[in-house]
Amino acid sequence: MLSLAIHKQLDAFALDLRLEAPTKKIIVLFGASGAGKSLTLAAIAGFMTPDAGRIAIDERVLLDVARGVNLAPQARKIGMVRQDLALFPHLSAADNIAYGMTGARAAKMTRVRELLQLVRLAEFGARKPSELSGGQQQRIALARALAIEPALLLLDEPFSALDLGTRMELRRELKDLQRRLQQSMIFVTHDLGEAALLADEMAVLDQGRVLQFATPNAILRAPRNVRVAQIVGVKNILPAQVIHSNRVRIGARELETLATTFAPGAKVFACIRSERVLLVRRESPTRTHPNEMAGELLDEESDGNDVTLRFRVEGARLQPRENFDLQIDMPVYVYERLQLARERQWRISLKPNVLHLVSA
Amino acid sequence: MRANGCRAVFFIMAFSDTRVGFARPHIRYARILFLALASLLVLFLTLPLVALVVRALPLGLDAWLNETTLAALQLSLTTATLSALIAFGVGTPVAYLLARENFRGKAVVDTLIDLPMVLPPAVAGIALLMAFGRRGILGATFSAFGIELPFTTAAVVIAETFVAAPFYVRSAKAGFGAVDRRLEQMSALLGVSDWKTFWRVTLPLAAPSVVSGLLMTWARALGEFGATIMFAGNFPGRTQTMPLAIYSGLEANLDSALALSLILVIVSFGVLLAIRQVSPKGLTLG
Repeated sequence: MLSLAIHKQLDAFALDLRLEAPTKKIIVLFGASGAGKSLTLAAIAGFMTPDAGRIAIDERVLLDVARGVNLAPQARKIGMVRQDLALFPHLSAADNIAYGMTGARAAKMTRVRELLQLVRLAEFGARKPSELSGGQQQRIALARALAIEPALLLLDEPFSALDLGTRMELRRELKDLQRRLQQSMIFVTHDLGEAALLADEMAVLDQGRVLQFATPNAILRAPRNVRVAQIVGVKNILPAQVIHSNRVRIGARELETLATTFAPGAKVFACIRSERVLLVRRESPTRTHPNEMAGELLDEESDGNDVTLRFRVEGARLQPRENFDLQIDMPVYVYERLQLARERQWRISLKPNVLHLVSA
Repeated sequence: MRANGCRAVFFIMAFSDTRVGFARPHIRYARILFLALASLLVLFLTLPLVALVVRALPLGLDAWLNETTLAALQLSLTTATLSALIAFGVGTPVAYLLARENFRGKAVVDTLIDLPMVLPPAVAGIALLMAFGRRGILGATFSAFGIELPFTTAAVVIAETFVAAPFYVRSAKAGFGAVDRRLEQMSALLGVSDWKTFWRVTLPLAAPSVVSGLLMTWARALGEFGATIMFAGNFPGRTQTMPLAIYSGLEANLDSALALSLILVIVSFGVLLAIRQVSPKGLTLG
């Protein structure tokens, strides 16, 4: 068990992080810059001493402020790979990997060769960091961190500076490596896709606190509160009021939900992921869908992969004060298949399990 | 006549500067003025050196190899090298702390360390006498232990170190400051002690600044005159370094002074070239 309790008061920022996470997994710390992710890593590494708290990996206590335990970085057995300045620029790749190793020279050389093979750079040991590509440098940095057989590997946005293709490749390799070595890892990122791809479990950080800790799926499907919903990119967060256990009023319209624990009359927010809204043709055979409403496509914008559509509901509006009621995302190719550029009038359906209610 | 003159000027300009053509004649005049002034300075700096070389080169072997010259040369090389080594030994921690740590009075320490660079060497000499001289603050204590510093070879080293060490501290400080702290953190995380991190990461990465600082210090120590003559005196074989021998030679043996001067010019030139080699940015005095 990885046990973190870190409290640190800075001038304009307070870190108050609590997290109990399993070892031998990839734990992702996800949040915007300034959420406290890097400060947390600094505390785990021992670069920053918290005002209060305890950091332990299984039985090994790295820090316990109350008991006066505070291991030096040298004694923590923590590996680290960071976004920039990964390697010692004056040493070759092999010397970088061997840097933290102890023991006989021959044994070190053998181990360096193994690690170079592990990160698929067997031929590159003699190169200086400046002679390696960004992706290769990060691989060597990973090998160097693994060389000390760390109890925990910290990865601070290690792939952010790389191009998309290399980033995807290294993510896959890292995940694969983790599975094979059963290495405990904490991976920090502000990229939701990267977080969802890598995380066995992920912690959503905001203003120095963990707002939610669960599997990426659970967090995406059921964010704990409005802030988490915002952070994980829920586009439709609508003020709502509970009518009874499985009915809710959003704006002027009543909709069916799954059974909730909120009391009737409770003010809540309904989170609707934009990619889970169902569009139905107006002229399709009239089978009624749950929570069906007529809607008009107002406008759309595309980032090249996906199209974001803005719909206004006819009749009882969901957001009477806004110009539009719902945002819907779909891949460009679906957009083209449905001929949405021409066809503007649709029926919109929100399945009850798509409406996720959170407290205000 | 007048029109012709004008045309001639434009003609010349059209050929001398194909980029601008003859659009703005005044730019050319400014440039000529700058070139003239620049040439004047370069000439002014070169002429004495040329004169020195012209006078020194034809000298007989005797001017180069007499006892006074050789003794001064040997003493200068020894004391300057010792000064550079001392600067490295005690200046390195100072440079590192100034680059890395924040402490009360840091600005004062920083300024104090730079001070000898602008202080007139004669003032440095007097100050050293007042500190370590027979009637100086520490002089009596040293005397009690049988240590007499003034007018010894040790005094030469002290004077040179006092004047020249700041050049090393300043350059090394810039070098250490440019080494990213996160590399040192990474080294610590890999299990390497702070002491070993300094030797394996910080110093190698700051090496260009450290080496050029040492060269500057060595060259400055080699040329030290004012503080040395006041604090160490001018005794051949014991405290008479090359600059002091040149000064004495002006009256006693001009040939020998010329020979020593030429040696110093060549050495200084060599040091500057070497500094350019080690640090891509040239002199790092700022």
